[in-house]
Amino acid sequence: MAVEAITGAIASAVRSAGTALPSLPTTGAQAAAPSGEGFRDMVVGALDDLQGLHGTADSLAVQAATGDLADVHEYTIAATQAELATQLTVAVRDKAVEAFNDIMRMQF
Amino acid sequence: MSAVFSALESSRNGLSVYKTWLDAIADNIANVNTVRPAGEDAFAARYVVAEAVDYGGAAAPGIGNGARVQRVAFGSDEGRLVYSPGHPYADAEGMIRVPDIDMNEQMTSMIVAQRSYQANVSVVERARAAYEAALRIGSR
Repeated sequence: MAVEAITGAIASAVRSAGTALPSLPTTGAQAAAPSGEGFRDMVVGALDDLQGLHGTADSLAVQAATGDLADVHEYTIAATQAELATQLTVAVRDKAVEAFNDIMRMQF
Repeated sequence: MSAVFSALESSRNGLSVYKTWLDAIADNIANVNTVRPAGEDAFAARYVVAEAVDYGGAAAPGIGNGARVQRVAFGSDEGRLVYSPGHPYADAEGMIRVPDIDMNEQMTSMIVAQRSYQANVSVVERARAAYEAALRIGSR
């Protein structure tokens, strides 16, 4: 489905952005080294989970269309989970973009 | 991610149990008049044996993940011997074997299974509403 392509594109973009960051030149005081799991890993992990949930919902939808679906509630609950996970991911993204824009608007 | 939706997971497992139970009751009611010769076993009623699923995750060690079907048990295949000399399966004494399924028990079980299924659907709706409310925190 289209959502998988989008989440895949975002995940790869976030990955490349994260790998590009350490090569940035640091001036003056040494920037604190990122320790452990950063925001990037969290976002990538969440997108992978989201992709998995959408994959499950999609395969169940195919089963419903072909008449192989044994339990109706399996599909409806998988679709609900995928929808809620998408909303959660979008909410996190909105907050991150909001914070980024606030920082970019800083004036000295 | 499933830890985020553990209420949905529990309800999903519960719905599967009650769906299986409804299937078993439908099977029992469909076979209530299945006649066998007196020398053979009668149709045995199907009973669904459920058990609690307790994964004991780190986030909530005491809370499990609903219920699942452990196995399907069979009732007695003894049946009842009925005198019906005109029946094609009747033996020399005119006896046939019919299943000993209590229709009252099956119908009450069916109502319990149906209402429990609906209760699990209600849990899904409430959990969804709760998650959506949480997602609206701080939104403008």
